[in-house]
Amino acid sequence: MKNLFEKWKEKIPKYHIVFRETLFEKLTRTGGGGEQGREDRGKQFSNNYELYIYAFFFGLYKDEYSPISEGSRKIDFSMPIKTWGSKTNVLGRKDFTNLQENMFISLLAKTDIDLVALEKGELDEDDAVKLLIKTMESYTNGGLILIKEKLEENPNYFLQPTSFVNMILETAD
Amino acid sequence: MIIKKIQIENYLCYYSINTFQFEDGLNIVLGENNEGKTKFFEAVEWLFDGRTDDVVNLISAKKLNEISSGDSFRVSVSMIVEQYETESKISRSFTVNKKATNEIDTSSVLFEGEETDNTTGERIPKNAQNLLDRIFPYQIRKYSMFKGETELNIFDNDEALANLINLFSDARHYEKYTEKGAFLRDKAEKAVEQSTRQNRRNQNAYNLLESEISQLHREKERLKVHLNSTEEEKTKLEKNIKEAEKYANNAKELETINKRIENIETKISLANRIIDFNFTTSLFDENWILVNFEPFHKEFSEKIAAHSIKRRELQSEYDKEKGIKEGEKRVKAELLNNAVPLPDNIPSKAIMEEMLSEKICKVCNRSANPNGTDEEVKAYNFMMSRLKTYLESQAVKENEPEKDELLFKYDYANRLENLSISHEDNLKNLRLIRSDIKDKFELISEREKEKQGFEELLEKEKDERKKILGDSKIADESKLLNVFKNYTHWQEDFKSINKDYFNLNTKFQGILNKIKLKQDEKDKIDLTSASSFLLKTRDILRHIEVIFNETKEKKFDEFINRLESKSNKYLSKINVEAFTGQIKFSKKRIGGDRMKIEVSLFESGGRYFVPGTAVRTSMNISILLAISELANEVRDETYPMIFDAPTSSFGETKTGDFLNLIYETSNQKIILLKDFIGSVKNPDGSIKELFIKNEFNSVKRKKAFWVKLERPFDKNILSTINTEVNPL
Repeated sequence: MKNLFEKWKEKIPKYHIVFRETLFEKLTRTGGGGEQGREDRGKQFSNNYELYIYAFFFGLYKDEYSPISEGSRKIDFSMPIKTWGSKTNVLGRKDFTNLQENMFISLLAKTDIDLVALEKGELDEDDAVKLLIKTMESYTNGGLILIKEKLEENPNYFLQPTSFVNMILETAD
Repeated sequence: MIIKKIQIENYLCYYSINTFQFEDGLNIVLGENNEGKTKFFEAVEWLFDGRTDDVVNLISAKKLNEISSGDSFRVSVSMIVEQYETESKISRSFTVNKKATNEIDTSSVLFEGEETDNTTGERIPKNAQNLLDRIFPYQIRKYSMFKGETELNIFDNDEALANLINLFSDARHYEKYTEKGAFLRDKAEKAVEQSTRQNRRNQNAYNLLESEISQLHREKERLKVHLNSTEEEKTKLEKNIKEAEKYANNAKELETINKRIENIETKISLANRIIDFNFTTSLFDENWILVNFEPFHKEFSEKIAAHSIKRRELQSEYDKEKGIKEGEKRVKAELLNNAVPLPDNIPSKAIMEEMLSEKICKVCNRSANPNGTDEEVKAYNFMMSRLKTYLESQAVKENEPEKDELLFKYDYANRLENLSISHEDNLKNLRLIRSDIKDKFELISEREKEKQGFEELLEKEKDERKKILGDSKIADESKLLNVFKNYTHWQEDFKSINKDYFNLNTKFQGILNKIKLKQDEKDKIDLTSASSFLLKTRDILRHIEVIFNETKEKKFDEFINRLESKSNKYLSKINVEAFTGQIKFSKKRIGGDRMKIEVSLFESGGRYFVPGTAVRTSMNISILLAISELANEVRDETYPMIFDAPTSSFGETKTGDFLNLIYETSNQKIILLKDFIGSVKNPDGSIKELFIKNEFNSVKRKKAFWVKLERPFDKNILSTINTEVNPL
């Protein structure tokens, strides 16, 4: 096995449990039942991993690197990265491969991995992937913190259908 | 005549003896629903025309419950009227016995009448039916008692009018003359006929004509039946079409407007499909989330490039250290300034072979020819040697160093470089994202503006539709469209039935003409055969019959005209503040020689219109008041009128105005109403208490009563029900 990307895609990244109720259950439609009422209108993400990807890029663009603190409980949604995104196109959704590659590219850019040591075999491949996942979890955590702050500031903010796009656009400054 | 008193005893909800003392003029009986109004009306009806069987169903349950077995009581309705200063009383009654078994039996019904002698004050028994028919004739009662609004429409049947004319118009005086005229003419015809028959010369021709005439008469009768039924159908259709006409125009407009509305709604829904765009989903599906990704890609590719350089540096040094001369030589020979060489696989084997075969270096775009100039030979050899080096690096050599001797055990750099290169192409896509998003936002905002415009337009069209629906009496759109659908059919049917009718009528007239011709021929024979005295007499009697008929018709028309003008006088009074139109009675000849009167309302300009319930009620009441007035003029006598809830569609204010108008009319009126009663309710919605509203104070009347149930009562137990009569 000589492909970091393939190995990284097998992983299931985690997030801080505190966001399950405060963000994932509020903003994603996974397990949400019927879509009705004002509550559901804020559920803009079809899946938990969409919110995860969003939080990652948002944290990355805002340079909010925020490792999940030691000893806190981390959870995941049992889906390895490679399964994120529609593979069947059943619902007219598109493939996420490009996004996955770009996430990986940014992780590699942002993670301090001694590539020479890796190629020499002095650094274990699994350890390198662990570092990548840590980076991923840290930016995602940062992104989630920012989103939560936004929600606390204005609980209605995400009722606008353009709010998440606007937030990403604003990260350019 | 006037009704002075009505007494109801143990009749249904009227427990014990209940007396209504009426005055001439307007008497009002108020009562909530189900509290005894209609029972009063029905009691009077029973007094006049009541059945004598099934009387068990007329007994007061309260009274029956109250008495012990073996006891008995009377159920009766009686009325005292005053006419020409004479008082008459009629009553209808029976006795109820409660047997030991608690079963009941009833006596036969007694219908009794008595008259008070003016001078002696003595009461003289009279035959009740005769007395009633004298004081209040049946035909007049027919125009005097009405239960509910719908019954007011007496002209819906043809017979009603015939009765009316027989009663009141002067035409009735000519009825007997027209009959006599026809009789005499017939006699004269027969006499002439007989005289003619005595002349043998003409007998055969005469007989032939006679038989032809009688055949024509049979044919005429047959056609008349046919004409009548066609006429009926035609009238029905005509009525439908007239009613629909007003709506049909609206329906056409409505259809056009509905099409426009549908069109706008389609446009709105198209706009919505664009507006209801899922921005968040596009972050992923359209890669919008990578909008700010370029710096990170750059960071990555720099990092990989740096690593690649470092890796080769290290390799080169490692090689040097290992003293591999070939490597050192190659380094020195191939590159200036001691630069780090490119990996052996760049350019790839295929590219190298392609360049060698085409004898051109496609990197520096110079010729590389083994047979060319020195430069070209040098370049060619350089490329050849690089290809060789690559091929050697791929070949497994026997003397290849052991794996542990390799500096880099794994090659990540190559793959990462490939990733970097492949994503380099995507960079231009990343740069387009921002403008894509901007375009989308603009598109959607345009559509939103457009949609707003459509919505405003839609609102306007809907208002327009409301106006159309509101203008028509049918406030229900589906009904209106239905009318429109039927209207077209009705029109087609009407066309064809009109044609049938025309043909039948032409035939009918043709037969009349034939009869006339044959009759003339017969008359000619008569001229030569019968005695001139008989002929002259016959001609005179024929003329007399015509005169009688025409006079009767003239009187009839006069009566109708008077009825019309009186009805309109009342109509404009009743509806002083509202639109009413004009009542028109039109005489129509139907089925060849029958006649019929139609009553309708017209707007000014002669347009027919269909009245709503309240206007129709006003119209009918006006006609009834006019009839009553005419009866008064013709007979020099007034008759009372009893109305049960005649104005339920009016509303209290209009009812008040109506009553004040009635107050001014000449004859006695007893009007039963549920208006002017207010209620205080219990929390469960049941009635706690009823009261008469103050508005009733301003209603002019001679006498008023309030009939209401004695409270408390149990709505499930009939024997707790008792209507009290309270004079107000």
